[in-house]
Amino acid sequence: MWNYEKRLQFPVKITQTNPEIAQVIISQYGGPDGELAASMRYLAQRYTMPYNAVTGLLTDIGTEELAHFEMICAIVYQLTRNLTPEQLKESGFDKYYVDHTLALWPQSAGGIPFNANQFQSKGDVITDLMEDMAAEQKARTTYDNILRLVKDPEVAAPIRFLRAREIVHFQRFGEALRIAQENLDSKNFYAFNPEFD
Amino acid sequence: MNGTCNCRERKTLLNEIGKIDFVLVELNLYLDTHPFDQQALTNIRHFQKMKKQLVQEYTENYGPLTRDCMNDNAHEWQWSLQDWPWEGGFY
Repeated sequence: MWNYEKRLQFPVKITQTNPEIAQVIISQYGGPDGELAASMRYLAQRYTMPYNAVTGLLTDIGTEELAHFEMICAIVYQLTRNLTPEQLKESGFDKYYVDHTLALWPQSAGGIPFNANQFQSKGDVITDLMEDMAAEQKARTTYDNILRLVKDPEVAAPIRFLRAREIVHFQRFGEALRIAQENLDSKNFYAFNPEFD
Repeated sequence: MNGTCNCRERKTLLNEIGKIDFVLVELNLYLDTHPFDQQALTNIRHFQKMKKQLVQEYTENYGPLTRDCMNDNAHEWQWSLQDWPWEGGFY
């Protein structure tokens, strides 16, 4: 069960439209290292997680990621408001527009649709937490790449906030891995899979 | 009611709620992996109370943030009539 709070986790208020940069930022909605994949990954992995503390973390970070793709969508939405047909053509946003008008749809910057193959839910605590830590770093790198292209401070501020969250989540998943390993055989973490054996 | 509100105060209050909720998110994730940290438990109790008070104040003056709270004097369903957060208005 979830409850919706009618506000963004960090304010997004963009006054200058910029469809070129929107096309890049949309990758953090539906791209390979985006917020949608992050949320779906953690919320999928939690059901078979044998340690309550780790299940709690997956639930809470998976929930926060929902608020993050809402922010990404707000950024893309505000960057593409009131575009004229000329602006659409000049910016190259016309290729997205022809299929979705100005609605939000999860895809990567290169136009590849969101796909569940972009994440794993493997059913092995060490495997899954290693993937989660890697995912946070991949998202952090993507935000670094975005920030090199963004000049508008109104766009950069929420992107910087999201980048910082990746680092905090990486730290917490590292602690979750420590908790998991403390529950395993210290001589051989791979002696058995606590999600199956 | 939208016509009479002090928009600057509304924005300030909403920003305050956002800041306090950010502290709550941070403490929540920290406590997930440090569930016996007494200092963090004391802190999260403090900020939970603070958020509850500010959300109540916001609801009474400007409208609901969640669907389980509403303005006692409202004669309309403000939840769906008011702006959504991605519009860049008060949020």
